[in-house]
Amino acid sequence: MTQLRITGGAIHDPANGVDGDVRDICISDGRIVASLPADAPVLNASGMVIMAGGIDIHAHVAASSVTLGRRLLPEEHTLDPAAAPALEDGTIPRSGTGGTVPSTFTTGYRYAGLGYTTVFDAAVAPVSARQTHAEFDDTPIIDGGFFTLLGNDEYLHRQIAANELGRAKDYVAWILKSTGAYAIKVVNPGGVELWKRNVREVKTLDDPVGASNVTPRRILEVLASAAIDLGLPHPVHIHCNNLGVAGNVAMTLESMRALEGRRAHFTHLQFHSYGGERGKSWSSAARQVAEYVNSHPEVTGDVGQVMFGDATTLTADGAVEYLLHTSTGRKWINADIELETGCGIVPYTYKDKAAVASLQWVVGLELFLLSTDPWRMVLSTDHPNGGSFMSYPDLIRLLMDRAYRDAKLKSVNQKMLAGSALADGIAREYTLNEIAIITRAGPARQLGLVHKGHLGAGADADITIYSRDANFAKMFSTPRFVLKAGTLVVEEGQLRRAPAGKRIYVQPGYDDSLMRDLGKYFEAYSAIQLANYPVTGLRDTPMPTGAA
Amino acid sequence: MSGAARIEENATCLGCGCACDDIAVVIDGGRITEARNACALGVRWFGDGSLPGAVLGGRTAAIEDALGEIATMLRAARAPLVYLAPDLTSEAQRAAIAVADQLRAFLDSFTSSTAGEGILAAQRRGRASATLGEIRNRADVIVFWAVDPAASYPRFQTRYAPIPVGIHLPNGRKDRTVIAVDVGGQRGPDDADVRIQMTAEEEPLFLASLRASLAGRTVGDAPIVARVTELATRLNRAKYAVIVTDAESPPPVPNGRADALIALSQSLNATTRGSLCTLRAGGNRNGADTTLTWQTGFPMAVDFSRGVPRYQPEDATLPRLARGAIDAALVVGAASAIPENVVKALGGVRTAVIGPRASEGAISASIRIDTGVAGIHESGIAFRLDDLPLPLRALLPTPRDTASLLKALGTAIAAQGARA
Repeated sequence: MTQLRITGGAIHDPANGVDGDVRDICISDGRIVASLPADAPVLNASGMVIMAGGIDIHAHVAASSVTLGRRLLPEEHTLDPAAAPALEDGTIPRSGTGGTVPSTFTTGYRYAGLGYTTVFDAAVAPVSARQTHAEFDDTPIIDGGFFTLLGNDEYLHRQIAANELGRAKDYVAWILKSTGAYAIKVVNPGGVELWKRNVREVKTLDDPVGASNVTPRRILEVLASAAIDLGLPHPVHIHCNNLGVAGNVAMTLESMRALEGRRAHFTHLQFHSYGGERGKSWSSAARQVAEYVNSHPEVTGDVGQVMFGDATTLTADGAVEYLLHTSTGRKWINADIELETGCGIVPYTYKDKAAVASLQWVVGLELFLLSTDPWRMVLSTDHPNGGSFMSYPDLIRLLMDRAYRDAKLKSVNQKMLAGSALADGIAREYTLNEIAIITRAGPARQLGLVHKGHLGAGADADITIYSRDANFAKMFSTPRFVLKAGTLVVEEGQLRRAPAGKRIYVQPGYDDSLMRDLGKYFEAYSAIQLANYPVTGLRDTPMPTGAA
Repeated sequence: MSGAARIEENATCLGCGCACDDIAVVIDGGRITEARNACALGVRWFGDGSLPGAVLGGRTAAIEDALGEIATMLRAARAPLVYLAPDLTSEAQRAAIAVADQLRAFLDSFTSSTAGEGILAAQRRGRASATLGEIRNRADVIVFWAVDPAASYPRFQTRYAPIPVGIHLPNGRKDRTVIAVDVGGQRGPDDADVRIQMTAEEEPLFLASLRASLAGRTVGDAPIVARVTELATRLNRAKYAVIVTDAESPPPVPNGRADALIALSQSLNATTRGSLCTLRAGGNRNGADTTLTWQTGFPMAVDFSRGVPRYQPEDATLPRLARGAIDAALVVGAASAIPENVVKALGGVRTAVIGPRASEGAISASIRIDTGVAGIHESGIAFRLDDLPLPLRALLPTPRDTASLLKALGTAIAAQGARA
């Protein structure tokens, strides 16, 4: 039995109401326990800050789209070679490459090096799920899960058109179970199917998608209800229509209102909080979105902050990537994926001299700073879309250090910032406990991960220990110690062990009568046999679903 | 058929990159007797499922000893090569890449000497693509550019396009326009609705002119412009146009076709929707590119000699072998499917082979370990030519699982310590 007592550190465990108290943390067999025998080994964390391991609720790290992106970027990889770490646990260490879309092993090592121990891939085409599982198998240390794309699924649309809502729910359950996914993802509801039909814009939530009664609104309603009725730990995870387009705040708020009273997670809200008018003007509408979220406890969100520097935009939202390709002239991948979804990729650089990028940077920070409940507005950069996960420490500094933020604000392009809340001055500085909320406790609560994101007895012993530093970017970029399920993976700032992570997924039930109809559909239109569709051999125990 | 025969339904065929997964394989007396639904190429690929009786190319040493010997040979080499041949599961490909990383070897696959040009072009430009099922359900105009899939991809037309009924093509073939583009001796299908011909020398100008025409400009002289206009008009009228090209049969003299077809298919999307379908041969070739990419960031020609992956597509296996820059090789996979020029170039190099029918000696090697064929004897994942992952299930027992063997080789290398 492996035991460890961590002593002397200031504990930031907001889920348990602990805000900087100095206490022992006891670990036994990979979990946190109430107490240990007096002779248990000790790790002295005196003077340090202790939090649960970081949880990334929305990133792109293990998917067919991610590997298409990796293949597109040899020049980035050449510039950022990553040597194999010197591991002490007998596992054979692996080299790799970084850049905005690192190779799998490097992704695992780098996340762990930042003190992140759980990561969700936010957009997996169901038909490619077995690739995601294989990529996670090659991504060490972190526990991984993924959300599977259902907002542009032909079979689902057919059930909505026929008003077969029971079957729609059963299908959602079958997809989640067959793919080993964790949650339902919606990207540009209906809009990806429309892009395949050469319809490039969704003007309203009631635009027809093929059939007149299949609309973005109905897709959102059906999938939000399915998540609730199936008792999924995480609600429907929504990327709204019209990402990145001036004036899209109207669509974003309309989508939120459409689901009023139902649990829903709205992702990378920065990209959906613009005022102004398409083709004419841009402004920040972060305040409107923050106010809606503040006053609707059923809504959660993550920010999708833009960070200056290189990024790779990589999404199931193919239409938006075509626009980005034509407006930047940079190389472009489009991949239309049969019956289910799409994919678009364009490398992108956010420059602080550029007006739109500066506005985006401001909008993201405003969402953080104007949201009154950090539990419901958590940290993300939509890695690698708004910036790499490696930029999280700098983002944390922007939130915690007003002087640093204001100095940076002065240096960015001011053209579109008139009247924005941040330009007018926001004094708020995040506390360490608030950082703990937006990077671990909040995501854990939003995801329904009861054993993660906190340091109470029974929690997974995923723990990050930081040395204090007045420069918060430095503090958060180089944790002194990181434990994953009780194993010391980072010691004195060096990666020393790389155990395999676990898979986090659900296996909801469904009515078998679905299979007859689904069999006919596969027979008629699929290029893959129904029997070959489900991923087999899933490891680890699924998370429970169903009414509590 | 005897009473003991069994049928394995929904087997995936790796005879070509189409990876048809609807094969019903009949097994009788431990042999494959029939591969229902498979084309002639698929039937040949499944064969009878028999493997050579020998385990270690004519010797009787224990597997552990043979692995130790391979480890010693590779560790002693100054510049080892790990080469991925076809017919590997992606699990085996990943394990082979791990060995190359551990050895600081040069890692390459058949891709660099076959489909490499298209991959490099896609790294410069990106690409507009669609999975095969999307083409089946949506493509109303299909251009076969210098390829007739009948020979090397026999079920492409019946299973994907143009023949099947699709969601947006309720009448199947009747709802689609098939255009054959003949480039010199590389001809499109005989039963196309429209045929456009050009010489190999004309092709680059034709493609440039076609792109210009899609953008509303005229480039080239009258004889080309007439043909270009016909094709451009049909492409512009398409709801969803697909251009099909064969990565395994590049033009006889390199002329930029791969690059130009990517640019063309991307530019279709200014007015309508369109994509490029790049045909790849069998044995899980896309799997090698895909797994290598996710593990290293590069799809082929990866040099680990400095302890990090470095991309060397201009200095891949063939030039390295030609100038004597490789002094030991581990070939993993079906040696019989390796391009002939690579086999020849390996001639003077100390080589070990781990793969199906290794002992039959397609490559002269000092150590050979027979394993099973991915999808016949070994389970795992393979990638279709459109990069979709499909399951492989062992239909017959494998003498030894390639992925496990390669992991054991990694352990043997680690046990011998760092390479000198």
